[in-house]
Amino acid sequence: MNIALFFQQIANGLAIGSVYAIFALGYTLIFSILGIINFAHGAVFTLGAYFTYTFMGLAFGFNGLLAQQKLPFGLPFPIALVLGGLAAGAIGVLIERAFFRPLRMRGGDSLLTLVSSLGIAVAIVNIIQYLVGAEAYAYPMSALGGLPPSVNFGTPESPLIVRTVQIVIFAVSMIILAGLTYLINATRTGKALRAVAEDATTASLLGINTDRLIMFTFFLSGFVGGIAGTLVGLSVTVTGPYFGIAFGLKGLAVIVLGGLGSIPGAVIGGLVIGLAEALVPSQSSALKEAVAFAILFVILLVRPQGIMGRVQVQKV
Amino acid sequence: MLEIQHLTVNYGGIQALQDISVTVQSGEIVTLIGANGAGKSTTLRSISRIVSPRLGQIIYEGENLLKKRPDEVVKMGIAHVPEGRRVLARLTVEDNLLLGAYTRNDGAIQKDLHHQFERFPRLAERRKQQAGTLSGGEQQMLAMARALMSRPRLLLLDEPSLGLAPIIVKSIFQIIRDLNSNSGVTILLVEQNAQLALNTATRGYVLEAGTVKITGSSADLLGDDRVKQAYLG
Repeated sequence: MNIALFFQQIANGLAIGSVYAIFALGYTLIFSILGIINFAHGAVFTLGAYFTYTFMGLAFGFNGLLAQQKLPFGLPFPIALVLGGLAAGAIGVLIERAFFRPLRMRGGDSLLTLVSSLGIAVAIVNIIQYLVGAEAYAYPMSALGGLPPSVNFGTPESPLIVRTVQIVIFAVSMIILAGLTYLINATRTGKALRAVAEDATTASLLGINTDRLIMFTFFLSGFVGGIAGTLVGLSVTVTGPYFGIAFGLKGLAVIVLGGLGSIPGAVIGGLVIGLAEALVPSQSSALKEAVAFAILFVILLVRPQGIMGRVQVQKV
Repeated sequence: MLEIQHLTVNYGGIQALQDISVTVQSGEIVTLIGANGAGKSTTLRSISRIVSPRLGQIIYEGENLLKKRPDEVVKMGIAHVPEGRRVLARLTVEDNLLLGAYTRNDGAIQKDLHHQFERFPRLAERRKQQAGTLSGGEQQMLAMARALMSRPRLLLLDEPSLGLAPIIVKSIFQIIRDLNSNSGVTILLVEQNAQLALNTATRGYVLEAGTVKITGSSADLLGDDRVKQAYLG
């Protein structure tokens, strides 16, 4: 592998790794508050990509209930991206209100919640297929406006070309990460979230409305999931209703690798897996998908709690 | 100020409280004493809406608390220092205190923070430390200071002496008396150490197996043979 190719792969790895990171944060937020893994997160990721596509005013294909339908207006990509994220966040809140909350109120077993979140994921996939068919959708080349398709960071003699999409993905992910980090560490709401994550009963004794914070957490989770879905859709295509399912599994590998419930862990885990995948030589690209899980396996042998995970201490 | 009427609480089949009635007048220190499992903590947790009673009413300043959420109870001026302190171990001392003022949005929060640091100088020294690194006595002080940050009119204290060295217990009870007499906070105190509790409180209730067995002024209870035999040793 020559040096230019190597740096290109690093750029790819950082781009995809940063998306893994923000996507995985969606799992982490909910896990740290409720101690459950929301398997519907991958489906919300898919929905985010479709929402953005819709807000751009693009027409759907020939299959499904909404065949050839489109909005009467089209929004520029950056605005559609944010709206897509917000809509995915709203779906997150809906999932919490309609499914998670009723189970929680009845003291349902967390395994029950987990299985129903899988059910929600399947339902969303089917609804998407019913509405817009199973075909792939791509954002138009014009999505990035007047930006050139790639940027040469080298010289004309020894080019070091990075796709503009990768830079956009990395930049947007970093903005989301910075925003979330600020929110959680420096705001009143963030401190309340950390209080609920640590001890929900005590948090409510302090006057924190835990129910509302849980809703907000689902909104945040859906928002980052939806943004991640759009970004991946921009980089490759939106491959159909199952778009987020494999990505969802990858996200699980990321959070387990980073340490369940750890925010820095999700970021490090995302970048590690993204970079590792990017460095798989192209002649063995069939093995790419296995890399994430191989790394996971090796690291968990050495550090069962994940890279940044805390060892659970049971106090008596 | 607070009127608990015919309260019955079930914990999954087990009756934790059975038809108890407790009143607290404004300005009083009232104590609930009794053995482990007598229902003292359950009473406080019912007031804070952490557990839901099966029967009965809790009236606070004319309003039915059982129609409120836990966060609304705090907004109404009731703060609860739970058993075992329950400080947020991974947050700093200062963040714990600021979260105590979560329901407030007036401009005096920083001033009150400063005031708590004056009242509990040990906390001022440790303000940037994680609360989990504090000693038991410091955690009790933090839990109390955190509750006070909501500017309560009624303070619910659950076993403030539990597991602490006698000298620390003494200073904590000094603070409790001071809060009542100088800051005008009404206090409902749950304590296993009956001697200490009755020396601090104006009135007391003796709970046994989820019911009120004896009630009266602290002086009466200290002189009661049944109380002496069972709780004062």
